[in-house]
Amino acid sequence: MRTPLVLLALTLAWLFGHALAQAETPTPGGTAIVVLGSDPEHLNAAISTGYPIGAVGASLYSALVYLDRDGVPRGELAESWTVSDDDRVYTFTLRPATFHDGTPVTSADVVFTMEEVLAPNHGRFLNAYRNIASITAPDDATVVIELTQPYAPLINLLTVFEAPILPKHVFEGTDPLTNPANEAPIGSGPFRFVEWVRGERVTLERFEDYFLDNALLDRLIYRVVPQDAARSVALEVGEADVVWGFYMPPADLDRLDANPNIEVWKGLTIPSLYFVFVNTDNPALDDVRVRQALMFAIDREQIVEQAQGGLGEVAGGPFGAGFAYAYDEATDYRTLYPFDPERARELLAEAGVGDLTLTFVYDSARGAFAAAAEIMRDNLRQVGITLNVQPVERSVMVERVYGRDYDLSMQSFTSSGDPAIGYHRIYLSAERGANFVNATGYANAEVDELLNAAAGLADRDARAAAYTEVLAILANDVPTLAIFDELSTQAAAANLRGLLVRFDQRDGLEYAWLAP
Amino acid sequence: MSAGRGTKALGAYALERLVNAVPLVLGVIVVNFLLISLAPGDPVTALIGEFPAPPEYVERVRAQYGLDQSVPERLVRYLGSVVRGDLGFSFANRQPVLDLVVQRLGRTMLLMLTTVVLATFVGVVLGVWAARRPNSAVDGGATGFALAGYSIPEFWLGQILILVFAVWLGWLPAGGFRSIRAEYVGLDAVWDQARHMILPVLALSFRYMAITTRLTRASLLEVMNADYILAARARGLSERRVLWEHGLRAAALPIITVIGYNFSFIVAGSALVETVFGWPGVGRLMYDSIFTRDYPVLLGILLLVSITVILVNLVTDIAYALADPRVRY
Repeated sequence: MRTPLVLLALTLAWLFGHALAQAETPTPGGTAIVVLGSDPEHLNAAISTGYPIGAVGASLYSALVYLDRDGVPRGELAESWTVSDDDRVYTFTLRPATFHDGTPVTSADVVFTMEEVLAPNHGRFLNAYRNIASITAPDDATVVIELTQPYAPLINLLTVFEAPILPKHVFEGTDPLTNPANEAPIGSGPFRFVEWVRGERVTLERFEDYFLDNALLDRLIYRVVPQDAARSVALEVGEADVVWGFYMPPADLDRLDANPNIEVWKGLTIPSLYFVFVNTDNPALDDVRVRQALMFAIDREQIVEQAQGGLGEVAGGPFGAGFAYAYDEATDYRTLYPFDPERARELLAEAGVGDLTLTFVYDSARGAFAAAAEIMRDNLRQVGITLNVQPVERSVMVERVYGRDYDLSMQSFTSSGDPAIGYHRIYLSAERGANFVNATGYANAEVDELLNAAAGLADRDARAAAYTEVLAILANDVPTLAIFDELSTQAAAANLRGLLVRFDQRDGLEYAWLAP
Repeated sequence: MSAGRGTKALGAYALERLVNAVPLVLGVIVVNFLLISLAPGDPVTALIGEFPAPPEYVERVRAQYGLDQSVPERLVRYLGSVVRGDLGFSFANRQPVLDLVVQRLGRTMLLMLTTVVLATFVGVVLGVWAARRPNSAVDGGATGFALAGYSIPEFWLGQILILVFAVWLGWLPAGGFRSIRAEYVGLDAVWDQARHMILPVLALSFRYMAITTRLTRASLLEVMNADYILAARARGLSERRVLWEHGLRAAALPIITVIGYNFSFIVAGSALVETVFGWPGVGRLMYDSIFTRDYPVLLGILLLVSITVILVNLVTDIAYALADPRVRY
């Protein structure tokens, strides 16, 4: 008799526990501590593209749109929007919303912020602004953006990371770079500013009059932990609740994963492509056969496993794995260029290249680059190429690479929401000395034309057709060596729920809540 | 020589030293300015962020911060503003440099002064202890400790301390300046802050404890062989009084010298320790400024550090005179 009773009791307990887990409803209250790797320089997200400023800004400010978990644009301040038939006029209808100081958010704030603050001061918004003919406010709740030519990525460049809306009445007639509100910001986001202790933390609290559902946490604290190993430790000893992949030492992930109090997540959300620029000023590297030989000679699988701790996928093409419409199985680099040192040696012999020495420049702060450089040095030695590895400080790297004083250089670029935002620039022809664009000297009029046309096409199928042509050209020319797509990661306290609800993990913390 | 004349001479000496420090400080500014200007890397690149920007935008930012001017022009302008007490405006933080540095100077001083006091106290006590019984087990232990102290880098020691006391034992916080989850007031706040200071101070002071131990031992061993110590013993004074009143007073001179000398190294060490422990002080600000090429902040910190070192050396010299009646200026 006893065994069935025990079984019954266990079953009931299991059902009860299961029901409890199912019924877990978000409860408001509590404080969450999010780790920043460095102190934000100020708190005005409209005049900077810095990562920590964007992080705090995502909770403080709001924008016309946000990107949901799948990267689809949704209305934030904009209740809805329409696009004209010729894809040139975007009309936004605003929701009723208020700034943290109680004044309403109107179309005048949107126009002012874009024209006066973002366009002159925000590097990424500038990319959208160059295609904008005018921004107007026909009434308090309507904003009209007219483009000079169709530009599909526009909507992706209107999120809180590219176009946070500032209060016009606070900034009008002042220098936005030195306005005191940069230290004590006023936004219209889910959290309002409380206190900033430089070098230590930024404290925010729930804004009770937020125009969408109020945040669940009472307080959100961004804490500065400058040393990467100390960030994982802060999480383990309970001094922090969230560490984003951007700040995470990959070597610590397995240890954190084994900790029952910590939840580790890995995924491919915001694409980040790791690749190698090849400087075609070097006559040897101007030969397409040599560039192809480099692709065959480099063991990308080994780089992902050893340099990136497995947190990546070998790149299948020049636009990575983030955009299905900018990928073609027929030109997948993994089948076109398998690791094949023998084939590399043949191509080098055909090109008449022997005893080649190449300078490999990278940002010394990037641990994955250093490890990848060692692997590439070893790989290239097998095919008779000597790699002269030169780690330099970031600002020196920028000068050398974009001044084309290098042979090979490892880089990582991201392209939030649309390949036209961050990836087209890798292949479009560019001037020597222009920063963060194509540093290879490779210029192909056909590629330029196809990429510019693709950026203007809102229809995904039409874009896919344009990309298929570009992919075929780039797969043959390999002006850069695509290595891998980075996997995003995050480690968080297991009792902190409701994270990762939006495209960028820094966004949407109003949904986070603490389970009892 | 009367006490009055001695004090007056000391005052005049201090004033003379201060006046002489002025050209030194100017030299420090000029050398630092030129070194930073000659270093590769463009602050404008760091300011703009990792995105392609049109050349006219880059030039506008460059002009905004006066970086379009030549190095001599900028140097003259900088010297002019420093003379007026203005250390300039931070490119990256968009705040006056003086405000930024002053906010953090107190926290760094707290760390450094605690380190100096602890390192001196522990170092002298261990050194005396070792010197009293040369070649004993205690002496061997002190020597071993000194050797370890010389060889272990601060940042490594800091990480080991975190691992042991914060992660394994859970006794002390792993970093930061105070607790963030809980807000304390009054005595609780002081205790909370003290707990946060223990590991960084230990990491920073280990090396200087070792140096001071070694030096105290060597200095005292030498002094204890002097004739006047023999005389003191012969007069029947207790060994304790001989050691602490006669021996240590004479042995103190090199110890005082080394405190002043160590101070400048502690400044450098604090940049590492502040980074390991997330201590929001000047050292961290300096570290960040190097990477963002925030020249005005870097120059401002180097200037204040130089002035502090000069002042500490002056205080050391004065302490020298007070400790030893033979020293007169």
